Amino acid sequence: MPLMGFVQQIGTGALVTIQVAVLAYLLALLIGTLFALATLKRRLVVNIAWQTYASIFTGVPSLLVAFLFYYAGSGIISSVLSLAGLNVTIDISPFMAAVAALGMVYGAYLADLIRSAIQNVPPGQFEATKVLLIPRPAAWVLVILPQVLRLALPGMTNMWIVVLKDTALISLIGLKEIMAYAKLASGVTKEPFIYYLLASAFFLGMTALTYFVSQRIEQWTRRGYRPVAVKGPAHAL
Amino acid sequence: MNAIAHVSPVVATSADPALPPAISLRKLNKYYGAFHALRDVDFEVANSEIVVLCGPSGSGKSSLIRCINHLEQHDSGTVHVNGMELTRKAADVARVRRQLGMVFQGFNLFPHMTVLANCTFALRLALHMTTPQAEGVAREYLAKVNVLDQAEKFPAELSGGQQQRVAIARALCLQPSVMLFDEPTSALDPESVGSVLRIMEDLAATGITMVCVTHEMGFARRVAHRCVFMEKGEIVEQAPTDQFFRKPTSSRLQRFLKQVL
Repeated sequence: MPLMGFVQQIGTGALVTIQVAVLAYLLALLIGTLFALATLKRRLVVNIAWQTYASIFTGVPSLLVAFLFYYAGSGIISSVLSLAGLNVTIDISPFMAAVAALGMVYGAYLADLIRSAIQNVPPGQFEATKVLLIPRPAAWVLVILPQVLRLALPGMTNMWIVVLKDTALISLIGLKEIMAYAKLASGVTKEPFIYYLLASAFFLGMTALTYFVSQRIEQWTRRGYRPVAVKGPAHAL
Repeated sequence: MNAIAHVSPVVATSADPALPPAISLRKLNKYYGAFHALRDVDFEVANSEIVVLCGPSGSGKSSLIRCINHLEQHDSGTVHVNGMELTRKAADVARVRRQLGMVFQGFNLFPHMTVLANCTFALRLALHMTTPQAEGVAREYLAKVNVLDQAEKFPAELSGGQQQRVAIARALCLQPSVMLFDEPTSALDPESVGSVLRIMEDLAATGITMVCVTHEMGFARRVAHRCVFMEKGEIVEQAPTDQFFRKPTSSRLQRFLKQVL
């Protein structure tokens, strides 16, 4: 039987895991959306910035990015601030490093996903909002965004699950999340199976919840759409 | 027939000589990269006039009407709508677009909104009507194009002809003084074509100004006041409808009519 004290700790760790994953995903969404919008048109400077960003953050493993942020982040930030004439040191906690690393890595992946979804909204939709004199912000939020969501949602759901699972790696920079507590409990009780199983159950539960929620959102974004054919794409086989 | 009584538009549509022409294009040029889509086009449409543009594909018909509402930016020349010049300034573009209704070949209805929401959308967001007000106007126009019974459905649940009629109602809701049609029946099955053309004929009878790009020569004959033949970015010939079909002067139009009639 697992000891209640350790189970409680694993519960606390699970909460930290959720916090890191949610914040990292929101950061990734923000970065992804900004890069997607900025790179819609071909602009040299923006494109160079994007290519550099993408090759770094998709090329370096997310764990390494987290290590770099954790050990060098504080130095990098204070040297950037000292250029602006400010002399402050900011301590980077494992939590901050984890959110920044996962957010920036998956932001690079989400940018591609979101850009291609925007590009797949028929140009006629943009034209219709123009001739109907719809103000641009309303056109983006009420016409384009729902259609982008419909196209991007399956990929975005997968990306969320990957971010969630990647938080397990981040225990290596000393973040007290679910993996760290599971490891601690296994070490103390010499019963690794039970505590790692508990942690696995947590991730499985979160994934199941994710699919449940994403199906609801997908139903909402698919309102008004008919399946391609009665049999679906399978008819092409 | 259910005639479409057009609610008083922004400007009067009577053929008053004191009024500026509804549309006036001067020396219009448009390039797509190296391709010269419109070559020094001069084109005028009087108030309440129904003009049909025809010609082979790639002749610049669509480019021409898309330059009128700034979906394409012209490279040189001038565009005036009801006397207002279309410049690159956002305010001018909005003022000119306010005068124009546009119907596309591919309908371009918003797929995630119901038919009613498609029609009320611009009324609420561009004209700042309340939802009940907007729905009142939308239902009125949906009734005129015979799709009021489909108001709560999504566009994908409608036939092509019904969708195009919704698109016409959606454009009319803003009470434009000029309607532009860009091949409104080219994406439709033969049965639906008739229902859309009937609505367009009803609309023409209300005295609204219309510019239609279409391959429907029967419609042109019945409804148009004037027909314009374009080829390779130029207006080759234009004449009152009867003369256009009976006595085409240019050999290119004669050849074109022989092929399509």
